Amino acid sequence: MAKVDIRKLNVWFKENHVLKDVTLTIKENAVTAIMGPSGCGKSTLLRAINRMNETIDGCRTTGEIYIDGQNIYDGSIDVYELRRRVGMVFQKPNPLPKSIFENVAFGLKIHKMADGQKLAEFVEKSLKEAALWEEVKDRLNESAFSLSGGQQQRLCIARALAVNPEIILLDEPCSALDPIATQKIETLIRELAEKYTVIIVTHNVQQAARVSDYVAFLYLGKLIEYGPTKRVFENPENELTERYLTGEFG
Amino acid sequence: MLLCALLSIIFLFLMLLFIAREGMQALLTFGMDFVTGHVWDTNLNLYGALPLIYGSLMVVAGALMVAVPLGVATAIFVEEVLPFSLRDLIKSLIELLASIPSVIYGFIGVLFLAPRVASIFGLSSGTVALTASLVLAVMTVPTIVSISGETIAAVPKEYKEAALALGATKWQTVKDVVIPTAKSGILASVMLGFGRAIGETVAVLMVAGNVAMIPTPPWNFLSPVYTLTAVIAMQMGEAAIGTLEYSALFGLGLILFIITLIVNSLADILVKRGVKRLGG
Amino acid sequence: MAGKISEKVFFAILGVPTIICLAVFLWITSILLSGIGTLRLDLLTTSVLKGGFFEMIVGTAYLLLGATGVAGPIGVFAAIYLTEYARHGRLTRIIDQAINNLAGMPSIIIGLFGYTFFCRQLGLGISLAAGWLTLALMMLPIVIRGTEEAIKMVPNTFKEAALALGASKWETTKSITLPSAAPGIITSVLLGIARVAGETAAILFTACVLVTRGLPKSPFEPVMALAFNLFVKIVALGEPPEKVFGIALILFLLVISFAAVGIALRIYYRRKQPWLR
Ligand SMILES: Nc1ncnc2c1ncn2[C@@H]1O[C@H](COP(=O)(O)OP(=O)(O)OP(=O)(O)O)[C@@H](O)[C@H]1O
Ligand SMILES: [Mg+2]
Repeated sequence: MAKVDIRKLNVWFKENHVLKDVTLTIKENAVTAIMGPSGCGKSTLLRAINRMNETIDGCRTTGEIYIDGQNIYDGSIDVYELRRRVGMVFQKPNPLPKSIFENVAFGLKIHKMADGQKLAEFVEKSLKEAALWEEVKDRLNESAFSLSGGQQQRLCIARALAVNPEIILLDEPCSALDPIATQKIETLIRELAEKYTVIIVTHNVQQAARVSDYVAFLYLGKLIEYGPTKRVFENPENELTERYLTGEFG
Repeated sequence: MLLCALLSIIFLFLMLLFIAREGMQALLTFGMDFVTGHVWDTNLNLYGALPLIYGSLMVVAGALMVAVPLGVATAIFVEEVLPFSLRDLIKSLIELLASIPSVIYGFIGVLFLAPRVASIFGLSSGTVALTASLVLAVMTVPTIVSISGETIAAVPKEYKEAALALGATKWQTVKDVVIPTAKSGILASVMLGFGRAIGETVAVLMVAGNVAMIPTPPWNFLSPVYTLTAVIAMQMGEAAIGTLEYSALFGLGLILFIITLIVNSLADILVKRGVKRLGG
Repeated sequence: MAGKISEKVFFAILGVPTIICLAVFLWITSILLSGIGTLRLDLLTTSVLKGGFFEMIVGTAYLLLGATGVAGPIGVFAAIYLTEYARHGRLTRIIDQAINNLAGMPSIIIGLFGYTFFCRQLGLGISLAAGWLTLALMMLPIVIRGTEEAIKMVPNTFKEAALALGASKWETTKSITLPSAAPGIITSVLLGIARVAGETAAILFTACVLVTRGLPKSPFEPVMALAFNLFVKIVALGEPPEKVFGIALILFLLVISFAAVGIALRIYYRRKQPWLR
C-alpha cells in the first residue's frame, strides 16, 4: 500500500535549487531509508513531508506530495493537523527545557487531545512504546536534560508518538549517539514499523541495511535509485549507488 | 591594562565612599527618620525622604505598567513575527528612541504632553505623576525591547522546531516554548528598565510637578510628585557646602545608589541564569 | 484553518505595540523638525551674547572630545585586558559586574560623585576638565562592552597565524587584533558619544554655567553646553518654547546622527562577518 506519494517535488532555498523533480512512492508500515552524500537534500526531502521547510525564510516548493491520496500542499490542508499526523525526530536530540513528563505531554496539550488522568495514561503509553518507560517512570518530573543522549532521543520519539501520528520522520536519529544507544534506537525503529510508516535519513550504510525495507539514494538533489533494500544492496542498478555503497564517496 | 580594567571597580567603590561620606551628617542627624520621615522641607531644615522615595517608586511603577507590556510585546513581534529583512531596521529605530537625550524628552513632555494631560483630565497643570510615568515609559521601552529581544533571539532554533514539528502553531510555540525559555531574560530586562527609570532625572523633573508630598489617595496619578533624582538636581545648586541640606542630598544619592546596585545585580544574576538554562 | 486565521489576527495585535513605539519616535522627530523654521544657519556661528548658539556648540564639542580622549583609550585597554589577557575567574567576574553596575548608574549619581571627587577632592572646581572626567565615567562601560564585542569577533585563525610566525602576544594584539577590530571600536566610541552628548544631569554641577564670556581658555574654566542650556532655560528661566526650539533641534540632530551612524556601522560590520552569527 502506498502511504506517501511524492510527485515531481522541487525545493529552492533562495536561488539554490536543492531538490530536483523527485518522484517517489513510500509504502505503508515499512521502513524507508533515504541515503546520499552530505548536502544532497536528504533533510530537505524529509522536511517537505511535514512542510517544515516553509518555516525557513526564502524556501520555495513546487510539486505534490500525497498522503493517503490527499495533496498536502493543497491550500485547504491544515498544516498543524498535518504535522500531528507526521511526527518528526531530529538529528540532535532536542527535548524542550521542561520535565520529562511535560515533554511527552506537550503535543497532547497543544492539540487538546487529553488532560488529567487521560493525559498521564497517554504519556505512559508513549514512553512504553519508545522503550523508555522503565528507565524514567520514577523521575518523570525531572528535567529532560538530566537524561543521557540516547534516552533524550527516545524521549523525542515518545513525544512524537504521543500525538498518535501515522508517519514518523527520523533525520539521522543516531548520529549523535554511541553504539549501544544506537542499537536500542534501531531495535525500536523495527518495532515501530509494525504500526507506523517510518522514513529515516541515514549516513550509515550498515544502518540502512539493518533497519530498512526500502532504500532511496539521492545525489545532488536528484533521486538516483529506489527499491527494496535487499535488491539495491545486492544488485545496484546505478553505478553511483554502487560506488556510494562500497564507501568510495560519501 | 589591568589598571584600566580595575578602574570600573575602583570608581564604583569611590562613588559609594564619597557619596556616603558627604551624606553621613544627615544620616547621623536623622537616623532612620531620614528614610521614613514624612516631611522634606528646606525652610524647616527637616529632611525625611519618604515622600521622595514614594514619588520615585510611584512614577516608576506607572511607567513599568505601560512599558513592560509594550516592550515585551514589541520584542516578541520583532524577533518572532517580523521578516528577517525588517528586523534590523525596526530594532535600530527603537534604539534611536533610547538615544534621544532626556532633556529633550523633558522638553517634549512639558511643552506637548503636559498640556494634553491637563486638558484631558481638566487639571490646572499637567505636570503630574501620570505625565512623568508616560515620559518614563517611552524612555524605558527600548531597554526592555533590546534585552528581552536578545534573550528571545537566543532561544535555540531546535526548541522551536520541536514544537512546530509536533503541530504547534507559531503562537503556541511563542507562548509555550519561547517565552518560558526566555523568562529570566525578560525579567532581567524589566529590572534594568526599573533601574533606568528610577535614575532618570532631567525628564522627570521637568514634568512631575515637584511637590514633596505623598499624594492623596496614594495612587492618585493626577497629583504632582517629587522624585529622589529631581530633588538632588533642583537643590544641589542652592545648598551651601557643609550644611545639613547639602548632606541630605547626598543621603538621597546614597539611597538611589543602593537601590540601583541591588536592581542591577539582580538583573545580572537573571541574565547569567538565562544563559545557563539555554545551554542545557 | 480557524487556528491559522486567529493566529494571524493575534500577531497583528502583537504588532500594535511596535507601531506605537515607532509612532512615538516619529512624533518626537516631527515636533522637533517643525522647529526648523526658527533655526538660521548663521546663528550657529553667532555668539550667545548676540542670541546665537556658538559657545554652546563648541562647548559641547570640547566636552565630548575630552571625554572621548579619556574614556576611549582606557576603555580599549580595559577591553583588551579582559578579552585577551585576563584568565576567566573571580576577578574578571567582579570586574564584569562592576562594569554593568557602572553602566546602570543614574547619571545624577555620577554627577554627584563628579562634584565631590573631581571638583572638590581633586580641586578642579566647576570646569571643563571635571566635565571630561565625569562624562568619561559614563562613556567607559559603553566603550569597554563595544570593544570587547569587536575583539571577540576577530577570528582566532588571524591571531594564530601571527602567533605561529613568532609574534609576541602584544605584537599580535597591536598588529592583528586591533586593526581588525577597529571598525567595532570606532562604533562603540560613537555610541558612547551619543550617550553623553545630550547628558544633562552629570554636568549640571560639574562643568557648566549658563553664560560664559567667550570660550573657555583652559580646561579649568567652566563651559557652556547645549543640553545644560536647554534645561536651565526651560526649568529655571521658564523661557517660551520658540526661544529654546533651536537648541533642542541642534541637540537632537547631533545626538541622533552619532547614534544613527554608530548603529548603522554596527549592523554593517556584523553582517559582513556572517560566520559569527
Ligand atoms: N535553512 C537553509 N537555508 C538555506 N539553505 C539550506 C538550508 N538548509 C539546507 N540548505 C541547503 O540545501 C542543500 C541540502 O541540504 P540538506 O540539509 O537537505 O542536506 P542533507 O542531505 O541533509 O545533508 P547532511 O547529510 O549534511 O545533513 C544544501 O546545499 C544546503 O546548503
Ligand atoms: Mg541533513
